[in-house]
Amino acid sequence: MRGYQRFSTVKQMSGGMGVFVVLALLLESGGLVNWAQRLELGPERTCALPLVMALHRGVGWMGLEGLRSDAIVELARIGWSDDPEAIAKAREASSAVPEVASASQGTVPKTPPPTMKAKVRVAPTPRLQLQPLVGDPPLLSVLPKIPGVRPGRTRTVALVGDSMMAVGLSSTLLRESPKYEDLELVKVFKSGSGLARPEVFDWQTEYPAMLGAVRPDVVLVAIGANDGQGFVEDGVTYEFGSAEWVAMYERRVEAFLALLEAGGATVVWVELPPMESDAYDARIALINRIDYAVVKSSRKAVWYSTAGLVGDADGQFKAYGEVYGTMARLRKQDGIHLSDDGAVLVAAKLLPWLAAQQTSAQIPSRVRKVAEP
Amino acid sequence: MLFPTVEYAVFFLAVLAIAWPLAKYVTGRKIFLLLASYVFYGLWSWRYVPLLILVSLFAAVMAQAIQRSGDTQRRRRVLVVGVAGCLLVLAYYKYTSFVLLSAMGLWGLVGRAPVWNLPAPFLPLGISFFVFHAISLLGDVYREKLREDLHLLDALLYVAFFPQLIAGPILRASKFIPQLMRPCDATKIRVNRAFLLILAGLFKKVIISNTLATRLVQPVFAAPADFHRGDVLLAIYGYAAEIYCDFSGYTDIATGCAMLLGYRFPRNFNAPYTATDPRDFWQRWHISLSTWLRDYLYIPLGGSRKGTASTYANLMITMLLGGLWHGASWTFVVWGGLQGVFLVGHRLWAGSSSAAVLRLRGRVWWPWASRVLLFHAVCLGWVFFRSPTFGVADTMLHQLGVSGSATLASRPVVVTLVIGIFGQYAPRMWRRGVEAMMARLPVGVNGLVLALGVFVIEVLGPTGVAPFIYFQF
Repeated sequence: MRGYQRFSTVKQMSGGMGVFVVLALLLESGGLVNWAQRLELGPERTCALPLVMALHRGVGWMGLEGLRSDAIVELARIGWSDDPEAIAKAREASSAVPEVASASQGTVPKTPPPTMKAKVRVAPTPRLQLQPLVGDPPLLSVLPKIPGVRPGRTRTVALVGDSMMAVGLSSTLLRESPKYEDLELVKVFKSGSGLARPEVFDWQTEYPAMLGAVRPDVVLVAIGANDGQGFVEDGVTYEFGSAEWVAMYERRVEAFLALLEAGGATVVWVELPPMESDAYDARIALINRIDYAVVKSSRKAVWYSTAGLVGDADGQFKAYGEVYGTMARLRKQDGIHLSDDGAVLVAAKLLPWLAAQQTSAQIPSRVRKVAEP
Repeated sequence: MLFPTVEYAVFFLAVLAIAWPLAKYVTGRKIFLLLASYVFYGLWSWRYVPLLILVSLFAAVMAQAIQRSGDTQRRRRVLVVGVAGCLLVLAYYKYTSFVLLSAMGLWGLVGRAPVWNLPAPFLPLGISFFVFHAISLLGDVYREKLREDLHLLDALLYVAFFPQLIAGPILRASKFIPQLMRPCDATKIRVNRAFLLILAGLFKKVIISNTLATRLVQPVFAAPADFHRGDVLLAIYGYAAEIYCDFSGYTDIATGCAMLLGYRFPRNFNAPYTATDPRDFWQRWHISLSTWLRDYLYIPLGGSRKGTASTYANLMITMLLGGLWHGASWTFVVWGGLQGVFLVGHRLWAGSSSAAVLRLRGRVWWPWASRVLLFHAVCLGWVFFRSPTFGVADTMLHQLGVSGSATLASRPVVVTLVIGIFGQYAPRMWRRGVEAMMARLPVGVNGLVLALGVFVIEVLGPTGVAPFIYFQF
């Protein structure tokens, strides 16, 4: 046996694993709480969350969570961490004064904008009752004329959403946009996010931070793929699809739309395309109906249907379609996200429509990358 | 279930806690590990567990038929049927869409091709790996490399064993099944090495690979026209580091977990970016795949036994199919083709007796120059490997000619890039030294080191868990 080789018995291994488990639980109690809170409603969360919360409370006196929070703040200070939520939470936990933002965030200014210093919650539009669901969105939609921009200015378009924007759609828009002058695209998306679980990623807080000083003229938003789940709000559990869930989710969509429209932006809400799995498609259909109802009730927001572009004649899922005269795969193998070819079909009408609103100013288009987590 | 998750940690600890008390019941332990492997796979999708069982059962029955037959012709026929059956399953799930779209594309060159809305099979996780395991079982039994009588349980567990099920390493039946047949030695577990492997794997995957993927590679490859030479070059280097750390990190964790369960996995990576020529590279990169391709494809095709032209053709075929194994897309085929060209080119170079070539090879700086050249040749291949379309690859290469600085060279990107690539040059003595130091400490202290390491990795890593790149294969 060589010097660096050492064999242990099962007993010794068990001792080592035991030490590891105990220490990992002590050091990571905060991380485990974060993990459990992000789980979908179900037996796993029901079992795990009380256990890790009890653990976290039990080891709180050791001050180890402070160690973790200080480490995250310090990493942010030296430009390592890039997660605004983690940084904000860590700063709250250690009561540190917010300092410079991460240097890795490209065009994000070094001093954080005022909105980062406190959680900004945009109140939903006051109403006496929620907008009733108006039914399924149309297979195809007509894009209305929107106000043009002043001469000499470019139209800034923010690409907002979850992986439905991040995968396929945004890259196609970014690749195709140089063909259209005077368009400036800004990336403001986060895979894995949504409106159902703000404790995982809170768009109300993150969106202003991600935008920084940018004020978009148009916001293209594709979101909701991760929202087909229940959630807990103020200790109350909302099962997906229940009337209470629908009402609560509609409020969140309204608040999100108000956030996106703040500053005068025109919001173009991109419908989530039909999904391959029947069960998942039914969830997404409900989310689309809620989104459509909220968008229809807004004076300015525009609905953009995709079912008629990437679905079959009935707006149902189809894997293949015709793109530029050839048969192509429209969806990725997960049956959820758009493929590049599918995204071309969706983007084909959007970009010319955005560009057609321009004045005659001839300014080369460019892309700005803003606070992409 | 991904490795760097709480769910996997709980699952693995539970399996470990049950598997060792069962050690004296050899069959019972194997049944437990087999069921645990099916649960592991089922937690991704229960719908495809029957497929996994079917493929491994089919291969096991065929292998047993080969083993029991004394007739050479019959053995060969059963082998052909077995391999064809396995490949048909892989072809259906992985290549249906590719074949259909390619055929339509060819049709479109001569006329207007129809657009058919056919069902597109969903790609089961790890299918390329467990089908290759099934074929390895058939091959090793046919060549009588597996001398012991094959039992059904061993064959099923060999194919489905969870540490290697969804992203390798591709184990050889002749090496792993004998391990399954023997009782695990409860006094010879290399705990310190296993802990180090798991830590190293987590560091490579969570810190290096995830950081480079999210902050550098994804933004550039998503829209390469927005970036210039500095960023594009950095992204290409970044992908080289990302894919190495992602895949070798996964393999390290798999090997460490298997070690804790009492099994040995072969080494799958050996500092590939220190290679001096393409052949050397393929003896260091994804070793389990390259040796699989050599033994089950290249050699049966004739290898280097039938003359120079045949050798070159066999190399090209092997690498083209190797590229196709990685993904059902022409960009992967081009990547494989490039690897074949590099290997053929190297053979020509190595066989050259030209005075100029000999002088160059004799220079003291030549090994380092060849490392740099080879690394850039490999990076050229990675451009096609990573690009979703030829258009993206073309734009990436075109943007290398557009001058501009590296705007994405932030501190985390540079640090992880340097570690990811140049870390491979760390002398083996350093790794042995760390292992020796751990070996001198009590095992409990090893556990402390593991816990602290996981804590540091969790704090340093980006949020969220990005899937392993090789999961898509």
